[in-house]
Formats: sequence, structure tokens, C-alpha cells
Amino acid sequence: MTGNKIKVGFYSLTGCAGDFLNILNMEDKLLEVFKLLDVVEFALASSKVVHEKVDVAFIEGSVTTQKDLEVLKKIRENCNVLVALGNCAVWGGVQAELTGLDAKDLMKSVYNTTENYYSFLGEHKAVSEVVKVDYELPGCPIEVEEFLELLIDVIRGVIPEFKDYPVCVECKIREIPCLIVERGEACLGPITVGGCKARCPYYNAPCIGCRGPVKEEANVAGELSMLLEKGWKKQEVINRLRLFAARYKDIAKLLER
Amino acid sequence: MLKENFKDFFETLKKLGEVHAPVRRGRLFSFTKVDSPGEVALNYNRTMLPPKKYFVKPFEEVLKIKVGKGYELIVEEPKSLVLLGLHACDINALRVLDSVYLDEPQDDYYQVRRAAAIVIGVSCEPDEYCFCKSMGTDYAWTGFDLFLHELGTSYLVRVGSSRGESIIESMSNIIGEPTKEDFIKLRDLELKRSRMFKKILNTSLLPDIVDSLHESEVWVVFSDKCVSCGSCNLVCPTCRCYDVTEKVELNLQEGVRVRRWDSCFIRSHALVAGGLNFRPTRLDRFRHRYNCKSSIDPRTNLPFCVGCGRCSAFCPAGIDHVNVLNAIWGLA
Amino acid sequence: MSSAYLPKLAKIVEVTEMTAIEKLFKLQFVNEEDAKSFTFKPGQFVEVNVPGVGESPISICKSPTRPGPLELLIRRIGRVTNAIHKLKPGDVVGIRGPFGNGFPMEKMKGYDVLLIAGGLGIAPLMSVLQYVIDRREDYGEVTLLYGVRSYQEALFRDMAIDLIKHPEKACLRTFLSYERDDPVFVSLMRDHPENVRKGVVTVLFECADPYIKPDKVCAVVCGPPIMYRFVLKELAKRNIPPNNIYITLERRMKCGIGKCGHCIVGGATAIRYICKDGPVFTYSDVLSVRGLV
Repeated sequence: MTGNKIKVGFYSLTGCAGDFLNILNMEDKLLEVFKLLDVVEFALASSKVVHEKVDVAFIEGSVTTQKDLEVLKKIRENCNVLVALGNCAVWGGVQAELTGLDAKDLMKSVYNTTENYYSFLGEHKAVSEVVKVDYELPGCPIEVEEFLELLIDVIRGVIPEFKDYPVCVECKIREIPCLIVERGEACLGPITVGGCKARCPYYNAPCIGCRGPVKEEANVAGELSMLLEKGWKKQEVINRLRLFAARYKDIAKLLER
Repeated sequence: MLKENFKDFFETLKKLGEVHAPVRRGRLFSFTKVDSPGEVALNYNRTMLPPKKYFVKPFEEVLKIKVGKGYELIVEEPKSLVLLGLHACDINALRVLDSVYLDEPQDDYYQVRRAAAIVIGVSCEPDEYCFCKSMGTDYAWTGFDLFLHELGTSYLVRVGSSRGESIIESMSNIIGEPTKEDFIKLRDLELKRSRMFKKILNTSLLPDIVDSLHESEVWVVFSDKCVSCGSCNLVCPTCRCYDVTEKVELNLQEGVRVRRWDSCFIRSHALVAGGLNFRPTRLDRFRHRYNCKSSIDPRTNLPFCVGCGRCSAFCPAGIDHVNVLNAIWGLA
Repeated sequence: MSSAYLPKLAKIVEVTEMTAIEKLFKLQFVNEEDAKSFTFKPGQFVEVNVPGVGESPISICKSPTRPGPLELLIRRIGRVTNAIHKLKPGDVVGIRGPFGNGFPMEKMKGYDVLLIAGGLGIAPLMSVLQYVIDRREDYGEVTLLYGVRSYQEALFRDMAIDLIKHPEKACLRTFLSYERDDPVFVSLMRDHPENVRKGVVTVLFECADPYIKPDKVCAVVCGPPIMYRFVLKELAKRNIPPNNIYITLERRMKCGIGKCGHCIVGGATAIRYICKDGPVFTYSDVLSVRGLV
């Protein structure tokens, strides 16, 4: 820590950098935020790359390439607190949907080559599958309000709190008609962790699970049988489930053939 | 009171406070602020959120924080509220909430809002989810100021409090004396309503049956279907659990303490610091809810479940409260 | 405006490190009125607030018979308690309470008192222990069974050792069990083989049995949840009436006054709030309320 500021780094692995974009987009708060931080590296804001020790490392993106792996291990060594931000870092991202498929076939179908162009590891892993993660903030992208809460706690050295209730709770609080009950939609709200204030259902669109499952709790089998009863086909449901959470244990099990 | 006088009745209520009543929103109903009598849907089946939302807010700031220094109460000016169109089940549910929140030491936030609320009930007909008759909560004998019984072309106005008495005294021009025919109509309609209930739950000895059949396979079967979404808790008119968190501003000096409706289906509900969870599995939580709802409030002698049918009507997994308990009774 | 939800400010006057993860905090109310109006019973608890972090239920680790600041023994284990551990004398916290029923010290008058504590369970029992020492003439024989994991983890270890070496000081019998060897406890066991045993707290029953008179004793138990099952079984075996066995329980609590619902336990025939109906319950309650232990 230098003065009252904490030293932080924002590091990108494989992802669209949307989480960091969201942070940079909160223009009305940025000046106040940077007053509290000594940023040594910020992948999306500056091309400066240093390997400095930091108090807190914020990481977005999945562990997809050999380079991701090496950089991540170095970051872990260089930081006190490691925070995974966004669905890619927390669950492997939409790219992890391909979990279980052959890497060579994928390379062939996209690049028409059998060569491993960018030292692809063969799968897209969550950060916690590779190194110890202190805190995870889900979302695709993250909600800045939640990021600020987390940041404020981390700056003060307070153990942050995370939501462990599903999107349905936020739907009910906003009195949004249930898309499953009223319309038989394949909504993933019941098993998806809240924090988005049920943004999609509010606009009449079923939840696609971008915030990932309620950890250790999501009743995937229950969600599946519920949607089967509503007339959805098993494969349709599985395709929805795998989009953002293919590496969640119970969904991964459904993907095994 | 003739139905054509409802307009004037409504206008008089508006003078007593902000009128909130069931309003149609798509296929659902919601208690909402209403400005004109035409918006009021007195013929509704049920709202998704019960009237508890006016007294324990889904999400509210309760204390101001000065970081490292202390707290300040957030005091709200009491605002007169007229809650128009509550069904008997919801009135009884408010009595249950009262018995919890007004029990010493009382919840000041609740007390202030409750004291400022005029409650006007309305008669109803049961649909396929209603089982208030089984719970004995289909009749509100107290807990309201006025109660409107629909008798075809008119309402019979039943008075439930001295405040209600003075309200109708001020409306003698639109509310006349009921006739003998009115009372006979009321009797006949009530008998008809009583025969309309399709959902029946055997409630004698229910607490004992639910408690003693703790190991029943029924709990396992239904809790496997349950997706732990918490909807049943949030729409329940007597569920009252809340969680509390603190948020601090970027200036690191100020913050607020917030409370939010909670659900006993959420992992952290019975989790203590250090990681011990007193209800670690979905099965534990499922049974907990049914035990809690099947018990009887010792202060009002009312059941903790008032049979409004919301948990069944709004469960995405289609779990029906009465079906679960009937399965426990061995009637499935 | 006062409210059960508004914490009263208290200044930390002293912090004592008890173990690597536990500290004893002494607190004085900032406002004189608050200090005067704060009265409590052994076994009650308070909600300790760190403004900007949150609050946590902590049992009072002191008897009302003793003047001076409020004492709380706090284990660093979650968001709030970690923040409390960072505080120093002079820092301010908020206190709500006291909450809960507490131990029925009046009802226990004339009885022998058997205190059984495991680990951090000594904290709420300290209030009872001090109380019976201070009102020694009101109670019969006093016996303490105290189980700890190791010397390093033992709370009030000097007090416990002193009580074993000099039982006459406080007129009570003390028995200590420990799970991991270390020189201090090993030599204590050598010198006092009748008072010190290796194992979990239930091994001490063998030593204490000659002094337990089932019809004359009230047992007061506090420890981790797993301990209750074994200790209650031992007490029941000795035919101590269920109404004379007291335990004190922990649950998640957000209000302390029976509103927030987190601490509700029991089956449909008997719903209890730990914060309001407890945290002290009898073994009879355990037998009639589902899921208490």
C-alpha cells in the first residue's frame, strides 16, 4: 500500500475485456475510484505491462492458452488478493461451452489446420481451476455496482459479501411476472445467481444464466425436469445450460456422453 | 352501499390517504397506487406480492452509517395509506405479521407504517389454488377497518374497527342501512362460496403430523423438484425473514445499513460464521419451510399459513403446497 | 429516537490477545445513560456493530455481579469479527442488546452447579462461573469441566491452571481435558492426575462422577454443536432431571429480537427463536423441539 492507496493490477486473459470496459465506463465514478487506487497495470486502459507486486489483482478472461497459464501463475505470485471478475474468469466463459469437444477438430473447423496456432490448452478453464482465487464476482459482464462494493471492502481490508440468492428473488421483489409460470419459457433464473436485478426478465426476456449458477446450490436436475415438463426438449435445455456454465459440475455431467 | 356509489366511496377514501388497491397488470394483479376507481380490480384472484410489501419493504435502508463512528436511524414520516381490496386471507396474514413485528421490542419501521394504514377488505371467490377455508382464515373477524361484501348490485359494508365506524359515518349519504334481504343475500352467497373450495387440506393435527413424519420420503421427492428459487417465501404473506447488509460509499466515510427480504431456501439463511450450516441441504430447507408454515402462531392462534395459494400459483416447478401436505397425509 | 435497531456507541478500553484467533475486548458505553441502562443476565448476548462492516451476535463474557466495562470474547472467523479484531483501544463499536433469556440463576439457587464448557463455549459460561463465585453462598458445590484442544488454543488457560492448582481460592472443583500434548498440560496432568485428562470433555465425567449428585445439581453446558449430543447423553445417563440441564446455542441472527427469522428452529409443533426464546434452553426443550441440537 502506498499512502492510503492500494496497489492494484487489472489483468486480461482470454476474453472480450467487457468486464474492464464496464469499469472504465463508469465515468461519473472513475475519478473517485482512482483516488483510492494505485494502478500499476490495466490491460484495457494502457498497454504498459509490468510485473510488479500488487495488493490486489483483478483478472478477467478464461485460462485458454499456455500464455494465460504462465501469466496467471506469475500474477498469483505477485499479489496478496486475487479477484476473478466476470463469467470467463469465474466459469470459463461462453468459450467453455466447447468443453468436451476435441481441440484438434475445433482448430480444423475454424482455422482449417491441425496445427495449434496459439498454444491452446485444449479447454477454457476458470481461474480457480488453475490458481487459488480469493474472491469471485460473476456476471457477463460484471455489474459495476457490485464491483464497487467489492472494491470498497477490499480497500478497507474487509471480507466482502457475495450474493447467494438466485435471479428469481430479484424478479419477485420487482414484481416481474414469472416467465416460467406465465409463459413456460426456458428461464434459468432459478439456478442463476442474482445481482443483475433481473434485468432480462424485466424486459420480458428469459434469463440465459450469464451470471453463472448459484454455487454449490443450483438444482440443475430440478431445472431440467421442470423445463421438460413445460414441453422443452432435453437438448434445447442443455444447450441453454451449457452456454455460460458448462464447467459447473452438474452441467458438465449432463454434457458427458 | 350501491355499486354506483363506489366512485364516491373511493373519492372519500382518497381524502384519508394514498389509496392502493389491486390493479391488473397483464395476467397478474399487483397492489399499486390508484388515482381513479376504474383502475381498481376488486374482482381479482390474488396479487403476486402480498400487502406485507407496504410494511416490511422488499429492500430498504434502515440506518445511516458514519464509518468507524456510529449509526443514525433513518426515520420516515408516517404516510397515510388506504389499502383497499384485501382478501380475508391477507388480512389474517397481516395479523400474523403484526404479532411478530409488534411484539416487544417492536419493529419501529413496521409499526409506523402499520399504524398509518387503513385496511379495507373485500369478499372473494376461491380459485383452484385457494385453501383458506381449510386453514380457517377464509373469514376475517378482526384486523380491518371496513370489509366490502359483494352482493350483486351492492356492497354490504362490515365494520371492523372504531376507525372504520367513523369512516362510514362520514359517508351516510352513500352508505345506507342494510336490509333483511341484504343479510339473506350475504348468507346465501357465503354458503355458495364455502362450497366452491376445491383445494382441501386436512388441518386437524397438521402440526403434529408434519413434525412427526419428518423422515417421510415425500419431502425427498418434492425437494428434488424444488429449484430453491425462493419464490414461495417472497410471495408468502406471512414469510417475514429479512437479511441485513451494510454498504459504504466511495468516500469510505458514509454508508447505509440495508435490509432485504430473505428466503429460507438460500444457502446462507442458517449459515454461521466459520462455515457451519444448520440447514445444509435443500431437503432440510424444504422441510423447514413446511414445518414453519404448518405451525400455529402462539399469540394469535392463527396458522402461519393462511391458504392464499400464492406459493403454489407462483412456483416455477409447479410444487403445490396442499399437494405436498396431502402427500404427507398419505392422500396423494 | 431510540430503537431496538439503533446500536449504542461503546469505546474499546482494552484488548487482550487470548489465543491466535481470540481476543477479549473490554467496552465502555460512550453515553453515560446507555451505561446506566445496560443491565444483563449471565448467558445473554449482544450484537456488536462495526460501523461500515456489519454486526455479529456475541455472548457476554462476564457476570453482572462485577462492575466495570462490558467484556466480550471474540473469535476472528467472519467478516465482522475480522474487522473487530483490527480495532484498538479508543476505537468505537456499536452495541445492541442485551438479548436472549440468559441462565435462570435464581432458579438454580440452592443447587450444585456443574459447568461443562468446550473451547469457545467457556465465553458465555464465564458469566455463570463468575456469578456463582460472587454469590457463593447461594449455590452448593461448583464443578467445572473444561475441554480444550491444546494449550495454545485454550482460553483462560492461566485461570484454569490456577483453579486446578488452588481449588480453595474460588471454592470450586475444576477438571480439564485436552486433545494435543504439550509440556504445560502434560506436567499439570502428572501433578493433578485426578483433575486433568487427555481426550474430549466427556472423559472428565469419570473424574467428576463422585461429585455429581443428580437430584441436587444443575448442569450448564456450552460448546460446539457436536459436543452437545455427547455431553447431553452423559448427563441423561446420570439421571439429572432434563429441566435441570441448561445449554446455550448459536445460530445465524440478524436482529436479536425475534423478527428476522434466521434463528428459527423446531418442527411444526414447536417453533422457537434462538435469539428470543433462547439462547438458553433446557434438555427438556431439546427433547420436545426438533433440531435444537
